[in-house]
Amino acid sequence: MKKTWIIIQREYLTRVRKRTFVLSTLLFPLLYVGLIFGVGAITESSKEILKIAVIDSSGYFSKQALEIENKLDESSSLSLATLNSPAKNPSEEEGFDGYVIIPNLQWQKGIDSLALNTFKSYGRASTAAVESKLNRIWQRVLNDSLQIDENKQAILAQSHIGLKSRNVNDEQIDSQFADSIGYVAGFLIYFILLIYGSQVMMGVMEEKTNRIAEVLVSSVRPFQMMLGKIVGVGAVALTQFGIWIAFIFLAYNFGKENGTSMGGMAETVGYVQKIFTSVNMPIIISFFVFYFLGGFFFYASLYGAIGSAVNEDMREAQSLSFPITMLVIISFVMMTAASTNPTGPIAVWGSIIPFSSPIVMMVRIPYGIPGTVPYWQLALSMSMLIIGFIVTVWFAGKIYRTGILMYGKKITWKEMIKWGFKKN
Amino acid sequence: MAAHLSLRHLLKYFDTQKAVDDISLEIEKGQIFGLLGPNGAGKTTLIRMITGIFYPDQGEIYFEGKKFNPIKDVARIGYMPEERGLYKKMKVGEQALYLAQLKGLSKSEAKGKIENWFGRFGMESWWDKKVEDLSKGMGQKLQFVTTVLHDPSLIILDEPFSGLDPVNSNLIKDEIFRLAKEGATIIFSTHRMEQVEEICNHIALVNKGKKILDGTVQETRQQHKQNVFQIEGEGLLKIDRASAPFTVLKEAEHAFTIQRKEGLSNNALLQYLINEGVIIHSFLEKLPSLNEIFIRLVEDSPATRTFEH
Repeated sequence: MKKTWIIIQREYLTRVRKRTFVLSTLLFPLLYVGLIFGVGAITESSKEILKIAVIDSSGYFSKQALEIENKLDESSSLSLATLNSPAKNPSEEEGFDGYVIIPNLQWQKGIDSLALNTFKSYGRASTAAVESKLNRIWQRVLNDSLQIDENKQAILAQSHIGLKSRNVNDEQIDSQFADSIGYVAGFLIYFILLIYGSQVMMGVMEEKTNRIAEVLVSSVRPFQMMLGKIVGVGAVALTQFGIWIAFIFLAYNFGKENGTSMGGMAETVGYVQKIFTSVNMPIIISFFVFYFLGGFFFYASLYGAIGSAVNEDMREAQSLSFPITMLVIISFVMMTAASTNPTGPIAVWGSIIPFSSPIVMMVRIPYGIPGTVPYWQLALSMSMLIIGFIVTVWFAGKIYRTGILMYGKKITWKEMIKWGFKKN
Repeated sequence: MAAHLSLRHLLKYFDTQKAVDDISLEIEKGQIFGLLGPNGAGKTTLIRMITGIFYPDQGEIYFEGKKFNPIKDVARIGYMPEERGLYKKMKVGEQALYLAQLKGLSKSEAKGKIENWFGRFGMESWWDKKVEDLSKGMGQKLQFVTTVLHDPSLIILDEPFSGLDPVNSNLIKDEIFRLAKEGATIIFSTHRMEQVEEICNHIALVNKGKKILDGTVQETRQQHKQNVFQIEGEGLLKIDRASAPFTVLKEAEHAFTIQRKEGLSNNALLQYLINEGVIIHSFLEKLPSLNEIFIRLVEDSPATRTFEH
């Protein structure tokens, strides 16, 4: 036990002191935030202000009506055009991006759709601005024709009744937030399992290729070596995670104090605050840590066993670890299904079977216990995961002690499983 | 006195192969014991059982008079495997501290011992160097230090001189002698027979999982002598070869290498030469080198080593 502790310390300290750890801890949130804002900025910048000629035969789309709208909304520019005779459509040379021909229509009948003829292809974001502008004009025409004044308009605006789902067993849950929190938590576990699982594998491979494994096994049991590495790397993942959470809280508190002076910030802070108050954060974080650790032990031990069985060849390691990586990816796919239907069969069974439960259960828990996840399912899932990781750690330990001292031979899955069942 | 390490009828199978097939050995305290054998003879498997890495399928190991307890006794054993290495990215001092702590030393205890050994080997300035920046020879020295750091009573060295220049080889050799003199038992495994002759006082030869030789170096050479003599003198060429009680292996005018016929004593041979009128300058029995014995025994042993129920 003392020796395992010494190993854990080494595994932890050498990793945390590495420059790559510091960099990845700092860069990941930046990258993540950058990605979100970046995508938004790119969408925004790719939006074009279209100049559209309107050829009106109905008389409803007057020059005046178009000008009023252009002033109110600058995301597109409409101008009235008359057809020259002989009939010639507006062209690019005249500075137009496209044109709409409005037939001679009656306000009582209306029209299903019009064609927007353009000289190039434009995205939905650009054309939507034109569409909404035409609709607003048409709406005004209808209002005027029906003599609907502003009071009546205000009443009509209330014609839509929204439907918000609320779980009577768990009043606190707001499914919109539950959805996104669960998704983020599940994604993080998925991400950490893949990244840190393969770190365990690489660490074991390093010991084997450096030939230090043979030196170590004369001091410590191979099982202690493997366990020390898994716990050490797991602690690194938790540290990184803790730093991120601390960052979020710091940024949140900073934002709360200074938020009012910055318009955009205030909105974000309000959103985060709503998330924090709408779900039971301490419970979610506790379960997150439990499922993260359980899943990590489950997968990291398997990755460690593979690391022990392969030689220097990275490709060999990749092809052997492929089935395990597949399991993680399948779990992720199951999670996506579970987040849209957190009580469906995929969600229920996916959150009970140990290989997928760490990822799938995390999208269900924010929806509420026992409302969405009954106690029996939670208990079954947790005990299955504990049994599951004890079995894989034990099994991997047996593969590990044979593999770590085996050089030069290419190993198959069949052989590894045979090692796992070998006595002593 | 009971042997320091006693192996009794050890047996270890891998699949259908007998890697170690009924090997018994007694190794006394303070002995430098040469464990010899060709590649794949079962030496490494045998050593791995002694170091507690493998459990024997049958047989028993007694260490310091008691039944071997792998978990407890590994702290008393220092093992330098043939396939050895260190963490490349780790600093030399931290590496030594780490390995010493895994052997059960406390941090402060380990630090004192490391400083002592580093001083002895002129390695004080290495403490903050990374292992990957050391030369191969320097790495081997560090590896040796980490093997003996915790004052083990049994030290197992597998090819300890590979990668070392003659100066450093001598340094390590002197340390081996000193450690043995201070009471440590040393098991020394190598293919280099001239080193064995120089260092070991007792040897065992293992081939195909079986022990085929066990004894002191002197005894072994005596036992395997081929009755070969080197004679220098005058009048050697005049001897009638046909009636002589020996065959001539190599000849020069004043020096013959001969093989004596069976059943003749050394004195009778000498008598014969004198009677033939040879004026003898020197008469030397040539004992075979360990290398010759090794090659002869390994080539002669039968090639069967299959699993039998």
